[in-house]
Amino acid sequence: MAKIKKKGQSGSTKNYITRTQAVKKLQISLPDFRKLCIWKGIYPREPRNKKKVSKSATASTTFYYTKDIQYLFHEPLLQKFRDQKVLEKKISRALGRGDVSDAARFERNASKPEQTGKPRYTLNHVIRERYPTFIDALRDLDDCLSMLFLFANLPSTSAVPAKMIARCERLCQEFQHYLIVSHSLRKSFLSIKGIYYQANIQGEDILWLVPYKFNQRIMGDIDFRIMGTFVEFYMTLLSFVNYRLYTSIGLKYPPKFDQSMDEQGAELAAFSLEGVNIATDGDAKAITNGESAHGPDPKVQAEVNKLVKQLKEDSSNGDTPMQTDAEEGEESATDAIDKFEPAAPGGDVLPQPEESISDPAQFFSNFTIFLSRETPRQPLEFILRAFGCKRIGWDAVLGEGSITTDETDPSITHQIVDRPVIQAAMNGNGDGEDNQTAQKLAPNQRYPGRIYVQPQWVWDSINDLELKSPELYAPGAALPPHLSPFVKAAPGAYDPTLPLDAQETEAEALDAELADADLEEGSDEDVQNDMDVDSGSEDKDDENEDNFGGFSEGEGEEEEDEEESATLQRQRELEAELSGKSLKSKSTDAKTKAKLEAKKALDKKAREEAEDLERAKGMLSKKKRKLFEQMQYTNNKKSAEDLKLRSKRRKLEKEKAKANGKAEVRFR
Amino acid sequence: MASKLVEKKRKVRVAESESEDEFAGGDFDGILSQSEDEFDVGSDEEHDDDEESANEGSRSEEDDGDSAILSDDIPSYIDGEEAMGKLIEDLPELEIEEPGVDPKRKENDDADRNYRVEKDANGNERYVYDEIDPVYDSDDSDAQGAVNTIGNIPLSFYDSYPHIGYDINGKKIMRPATGDALQSLLDSIEVPKGWTGVTDINTGNPLNLSQEELELVRRVQHGLLTDDLQDPYPETVEYFTSIEEKMPLSAAPEPKRRFLPSKNEAKQVMKLVRAIREGRILPYKPPEERQREEEEKEEVHFDLWQNEEAAAPNPMHIPAPKLPPPGYDMSYNPPEEYLPTKEEIEEWEKLDPEEREKDYMPQKYGALRKVPAWDTLVKERFERSMDLYLAPRVRKNRLNIDPNSLLPKLPSPFELKPFPTVAQTIFRGHEGRVRSVAIDPTGLVVASGGDDGTVRAWELLTGRQVWSVKLSSDEAVNAVRWRPTKDTFILAAATGEDIFLMVPIHPSVAPALDQASRDILAAGFGYATNGHQQTAPGKEPPAKWARPGAKLEDEGVLIRVTVRTTVKVINWHRRGDHFATVSPSGQRSSVAIHTLSKHLTQIPFRKLSGLAQTAAFHPSRPLFFVATQRTIRCYDLQKLELVKVVQPGAKWISSFDIHPGGDNLIVGSYDKRLLWHDLDLSNRPYKTMRFHSEAIRAVRYHRGGLPLFADTSDDGTIQIFHGKVPNDQLEHPTIVPVKILKGHKVVSKLGVLDMDWHPKEPWCVSAGADGTIRLWM
Repeated sequence: MAKIKKKGQSGSTKNYITRTQAVKKLQISLPDFRKLCIWKGIYPREPRNKKKVSKSATASTTFYYTKDIQYLFHEPLLQKFRDQKVLEKKISRALGRGDVSDAARFERNASKPEQTGKPRYTLNHVIRERYPTFIDALRDLDDCLSMLFLFANLPSTSAVPAKMIARCERLCQEFQHYLIVSHSLRKSFLSIKGIYYQANIQGEDILWLVPYKFNQRIMGDIDFRIMGTFVEFYMTLLSFVNYRLYTSIGLKYPPKFDQSMDEQGAELAAFSLEGVNIATDGDAKAITNGESAHGPDPKVQAEVNKLVKQLKEDSSNGDTPMQTDAEEGEESATDAIDKFEPAAPGGDVLPQPEESISDPAQFFSNFTIFLSRETPRQPLEFILRAFGCKRIGWDAVLGEGSITTDETDPSITHQIVDRPVIQAAMNGNGDGEDNQTAQKLAPNQRYPGRIYVQPQWVWDSINDLELKSPELYAPGAALPPHLSPFVKAAPGAYDPTLPLDAQETEAEALDAELADADLEEGSDEDVQNDMDVDSGSEDKDDENEDNFGGFSEGEGEEEEDEEESATLQRQRELEAELSGKSLKSKSTDAKTKAKLEAKKALDKKAREEAEDLERAKGMLSKKKRKLFEQMQYTNNKKSAEDLKLRSKRRKLEKEKAKANGKAEVRFR
Repeated sequence: MASKLVEKKRKVRVAESESEDEFAGGDFDGILSQSEDEFDVGSDEEHDDDEESANEGSRSEEDDGDSAILSDDIPSYIDGEEAMGKLIEDLPELEIEEPGVDPKRKENDDADRNYRVEKDANGNERYVYDEIDPVYDSDDSDAQGAVNTIGNIPLSFYDSYPHIGYDINGKKIMRPATGDALQSLLDSIEVPKGWTGVTDINTGNPLNLSQEELELVRRVQHGLLTDDLQDPYPETVEYFTSIEEKMPLSAAPEPKRRFLPSKNEAKQVMKLVRAIREGRILPYKPPEERQREEEEKEEVHFDLWQNEEAAAPNPMHIPAPKLPPPGYDMSYNPPEEYLPTKEEIEEWEKLDPEEREKDYMPQKYGALRKVPAWDTLVKERFERSMDLYLAPRVRKNRLNIDPNSLLPKLPSPFELKPFPTVAQTIFRGHEGRVRSVAIDPTGLVVASGGDDGTVRAWELLTGRQVWSVKLSSDEAVNAVRWRPTKDTFILAAATGEDIFLMVPIHPSVAPALDQASRDILAAGFGYATNGHQQTAPGKEPPAKWARPGAKLEDEGVLIRVTVRTTVKVINWHRRGDHFATVSPSGQRSSVAIHTLSKHLTQIPFRKLSGLAQTAAFHPSRPLFFVATQRTIRCYDLQKLELVKVVQPGAKWISSFDIHPGGDNLIVGSYDKRLLWHDLDLSNRPYKTMRFHSEAIRAVRYHRGGLPLFADTSDDGTIQIFHGKVPNDQLEHPTIVPVKILKGHKVVSKLGVLDMDWHPKEPWCVSAGADGTIRLWM
């Protein structure tokens, strides 16, 4: 006789363990367990059958793999947690005895990360375990950066110590410096939630969100202990990533940090990058123009630079073979892709990646850009620098580190302005001059030889890697829509960049034209007619939907349609009579009739297709039919959304055209 | 009065003894103040008798005399001599005033008793006790006279009395006179030595301290010993070590441990040394400094991935999905078509935050400066962290396929054509039901048999009856079937127990064909006469083959085969030499196979499980199918064995037909089901079709190469299906219902009883219970 099996002893139940069991097994508290899970990247699993897996009668919610928990047993951090627990116990016991001095001594020995920002343990080994290669770490950097940039902008509270915030800020700025030097920022997007950035580092796309510079509102029920645990981990991760990135381009990490500059709000300019050897020193210095502004006499500097350059070439020929090669002869090897020309006809054409015409490193390099004081300086400075702009000035209000705070500087080529054009000042130009400071211009006064644009110009330009025409982005102008560069055009999905005709279906186009024609007819009469037309089209839609349902009715409907059109015609005639106008439709009707017929044909086709589909569906098994319907559901939802967008756009375009027409009329 | 006197005396006595004490102590300062007190007491007593309470008026009166003394003399040391002189003068006065004291005392002494007997005012005896004279030790400085005995109660209880308590003899201690404001001012200006400004609660007098007492207080204050004389740290006298004994107490030699360094200590020291070297023990630093150092200590930077090795990814690890990138509608300045309408916003707001599809509504801000902070950013980030660590991750296989690829490839309605759609011709003539109908192999003639016992032949296209014969007057013709070869024109019909083979006379039939048919039918007679002896003599033959008689022979009916029970079904073998008949009521002989060329009838089954319903030959192979009520059995005629049992699952099979390809089977049943069997696939039906509301009577495949089949039912309809069997073995047959032919009337719950397909065209004829035959094309 076989042994009677006990519940929870074999099978899939052995693979899973509930959270309570895990905590008991590890003999740590729940907060410690949570920390460990966050750091070690252990997450709950969803068993196929919860009932089979749970050992208890009540339904447990969280299951972990038993092996994951087993793996936690060997974690050195576990010992640290236990030590901490022991220490806390000692302190409480000493206090219980009234032995205050002992308690104070223990307390002194305890690590207080909330005060010092530094715990006694390090997470180095955890990071190495979770990310065995550097690429792995880069792949997981999205959340890390979003979190740290958010924390860098948080107010300090008891839950979020100021030290932590300062460190987050510093790490983020160091990372930004890397992006600036390596020119690896690719895209950026101004969303309602904040600014999205996308960088490409070693072939990995990294996307993160930076909030706008405002005081963040902290809603209730946010557990900052959990966030803090994440931040602790992410800070360690980013510092290692930064080190690796800096050393990979020959920079010293950590970069020099100027406390006094930082206190004056220099932000990025508070760092000065240094090369590991002298060879890269010159390049690095050029990045922070704050230094060059405060630096020695430019002539002397130039001479010194020349000397250094000579030295560099002499000493480090081996280090920079590329550069010397380039100087020796232009025909020598480059790492650019060669163009393959077909030698004989008849071969297949193989696509090659095209070298982009404008290099991000040179994109803004010839410009001197001035930021007005109402513009967000941090993102603009970061983006401009990352795209090669060396000379950025801004108003003194925005902090230290600009090349010039003088708005009248003649070398400025572009000025970024985000203020409305004030009508009053436009009229009286003389009033503008009695400003407090001479170097500031009047609100609407323009400095000649300079291009004034709104901030969106920068974003749109870098996303398409082409300089947009500044007229569209002039101050006070209605901006063109700002589009997300991250959306990949899916076939059939609505794309706002394309004209409407290119993407609407035949039926929609016909519908729209018909509606137009009706509008033209009715345009003299009333606005109410508009409404009628609208409702009519809606009705048609409804009918269409109905048609999809019942396909078998077949021939009857066409007749119905014809009848309907006849009744519509009569209706129109009646209306015309009422309004006391002759029905002039005869002449125009030829066109609309043709269209109507085309529409009818289309409808018929659609109906037939629907019929076919229904028949084919009838042949599927129940299981497959359900699957098919599910897939169809999501597709339909998407296409319905697209349809809505297209119809909205059509309406908008029509309104615009109408407005234009009216304006023209008024003009005459 | 006498008691008062005694009181007075006591007072004086007290004063005396006090003054003596003072003198004994040798403190002159004390005397001055003390004597002054006494004087006050004395002066108070004078008025005590008259007034119980100390009212102000009397006070002021006394003060006339006394205050002069008080204010003038006592505090000032300058006229101390004068005061002394006065005191001395006063003392005798007091003695003079109370003369009765001394003699009484003498008496007391004489009697040597501690009381004496006196007479009070009433003349009674009265015991008067001596005054108590507590004998204190001389060095007890605290034990001063006139000590208040009221105990530890606030003096304020006596505020309303002239006295402030009682002494040990029970006599009132009178309140000392307090100076007026001027007096106290003077006091504060000229501070006497030892003046403290504190009132002695025992006496109510100002408390003054002597020099010694002050010194004592100072010493106590400084934590010194109270006495100068004691040396707290006397030189140690080492009684034992300083004196070398001439004779030691123990004669043991000095132990080694006395002069060797301790090993244990060396160990301890080494432990410390090691700890210091390893940095476990650090030199002491003030905590603030240490903290500062720790903060300044830079974290170590190094390349964590110096020797990185790409490990194979853990198959069980599911990386967290990345957040989707923002779409167009998240822009601060989206295209206008993305902006929601008012209704959409309302709807969105109405929804529960958890049910919302998007956690934001697209919004348009005209300029970047107008964009506010995002309210819920911290919350969103928090939720993302919660998801990262608490959300179970499941890998879901998403079918990334075009849903249309799931759909089977159906032939378009175009491809499904041709199929019969309308009733082209109606053949009328039969009286009663038409039981069976068949189209001849050339496709020109339709034969039918009905309840009226006639077999009729009709021209297919015109519907003209060309030939008719009455086979039986009382029994119906149950089945008519043409011999399936084109070289003959032979029809088989079953009436009751008889099967007739006939050659209908028809003008379109060529005489040669007619002759050939008659020859084939006649050929068996010779064989039958020759080989008749084959059957066992004792047994009755299963069937009798005979000529039907001259009358019928003239009509063209040439052979009559009589079996034991009513024949319901006739089915020919494809070559036309054999035909099978089924008579469901016959127990053992229900299925019979007849050989035309030999005029021979065989009964293949001794026993059948269930009632045989119908039987048919396989179109290409030597297989024979027999349908009982529930199952269809397939037998190999060569090997004589059961090959397959098909179980359609129907309760009562009415008819079945075999696809010309031979691998598929349709079965109709009385329980309204039509079942398609793929014989290669399974014993169970491949498709079950239930489109009829009444029992299915007949099912038939088209045999001329068109993928059609049809069934007839008692609900008066014929349903046409498109049933294509693919050449590829792997594909399944496609079955598409295409047409429902309605026209036959239902008569007494019977609809269409039989049908047959045209051999080439997509036409069919059906036999109805309403007495008509219809051609559908």
